Amino acid sequence: MAEALDTVVAVETPEGILIELRPAGLVVRSYAFAVDWGIRLAVLYAVAMLTAFIGGVGLAVWLILLFACEWLYPIVFELKGSGATPGKRVFKLKVTMDNGLPVTPAASITRNLLRVADFLPFGFGFAIASMLMRKDYKRLGDIAAGTMVVHQQKPAGKPVLADVPPITPATALAPRTQAALIALAARAPFLTVERLDELAAIAAPVSGDARRSGRRVTHRVLGVAQWAMGRRE
Amino acid sequence: MLVDTLSVRLRPRTPNEAIDLGVRLCQSAAPAVYRCYFVAFIPVLAIALASTELIGWYSTIVIWWFKPWLDRTILFVLSRAAFGQPTSVGDLWRSQWRVCWRPLLFLLTVRRCSLWRSLTEPVYLLEDGPAIGSSDRIIQIRHRVVGSAFMMTQTFIGIEFSVVMGLFSLFWWFAPTGTSFDLSQLFSEDPPVFFAVANFITYSLGVFLLEPFYVAAGFAMYLNRRAELEAWDIEQELKRAFAA
Repeated sequence: MAEALDTVVAVETPEGILIELRPAGLVVRSYAFAVDWGIRLAVLYAVAMLTAFIGGVGLAVWLILLFACEWLYPIVFELKGSGATPGKRVFKLKVTMDNGLPVTPAASITRNLLRVADFLPFGFGFAIASMLMRKDYKRLGDIAAGTMVVHQQKPAGKPVLADVPPITPATALAPRTQAALIALAARAPFLTVERLDELAAIAAPVSGDARRSGRRVTHRVLGVAQWAMGRRE
Repeated sequence: MLVDTLSVRLRPRTPNEAIDLGVRLCQSAAPAVYRCYFVAFIPVLAIALASTELIGWYSTIVIWWFKPWLDRTILFVLSRAAFGQPTSVGDLWRSQWRVCWRPLLFLLTVRRCSLWRSLTEPVYLLEDGPAIGSSDRIIQIRHRVVGSAFMMTQTFIGIEFSVVMGLFSLFWWFAPTGTSFDLSQLFSEDPPVFFAVANFITYSLGVFLLEPFYVAAGFAMYLNRRAELEAWDIEQELKRAFAA
């Protein structure tokens, strides 16, 4: 079978550690863009109401602010440490270099100046095409600067396991199998009883119940999951 | 069981990540998707072109109206691709009654009004059940992700608008000097032929290019939701560990 489809990009650090980055695609980046756009619009509108009273100087101040909002707003926020504009932060996105390091000033300036190229031919046509066709969802500015926008959010929180007395497993368990058992126990409250029994039946050998299934087997498999979490009687 | 043949790596994903996975799925299956989609698009284009005889911009409405119907073909190909099956135009031809014709009326009326149709369409096409209705199941699938699906649909409307405007602007960039570009005539009773043609080409091209990604995004959200409801990722891991 061909390699399973996924969105992750694997990056190797100088220490030889493989880390997985999850690039963010067109839709979620559009959300972030819309929020940023709204913020800029609100600021410009509010300032315009104030500067309207001081005539020509006010207009000059407002035009400088317009320039800053258009060109400096993303650069300032991306370099401020979090690597994300407010809109990106709302949707838990972050700008990084291709190798996962924090974005550098040169790269941030490049990717934001090239927003103009992404806007062509009209209304971000090139950016949309690029983000839909590339596996790492980069727009032109990202390609030029060697940056990537990645998801930061982890979907699963800390697992909460049902209170079942721990059972010592009948066989030795590989770490990956233990992780699968813990995941099963953590998901148990959200599954239907029948489905949970079905899944527990696959894992029944761990509690010495191979080729058996039912409510009691499920209970014992969940007990082994407790053991894998480190609980002992 | 179908989980074994799934060509997508299962792991817990947020709805937003699932959308990205859909784009990835559409990229990998693009040749088959666009080949079948093009075949289904031809009759719609024919009706749309015929309607320009009435009023110039009616083609837009016709194509828009047939979108849920076009989605079925795309979803058919994508769903087979997700389970590692290639699809040819011949496969589509043999399944055309189930995919295209049986729910035709339903697709053009009730489904046209859905605000998150690409999330729920897989329930109708892929789960054994009635071609229409099945509302309990829809509610179960929709639960907790309907907001994301709605936002995603709105965003794709915006993206489509951007792309169509971008394509339309090309006509403006490349028009010979002296061509009058009075945009107020665009949606008039009797727009110039030039506008009717530009309108038809840009909108049909925009829909043709973008619709597969929209359907794929919704389909990936659906897969993600089912994987979550039925713990597919855990099943895969357990089966791997206890295969012997």
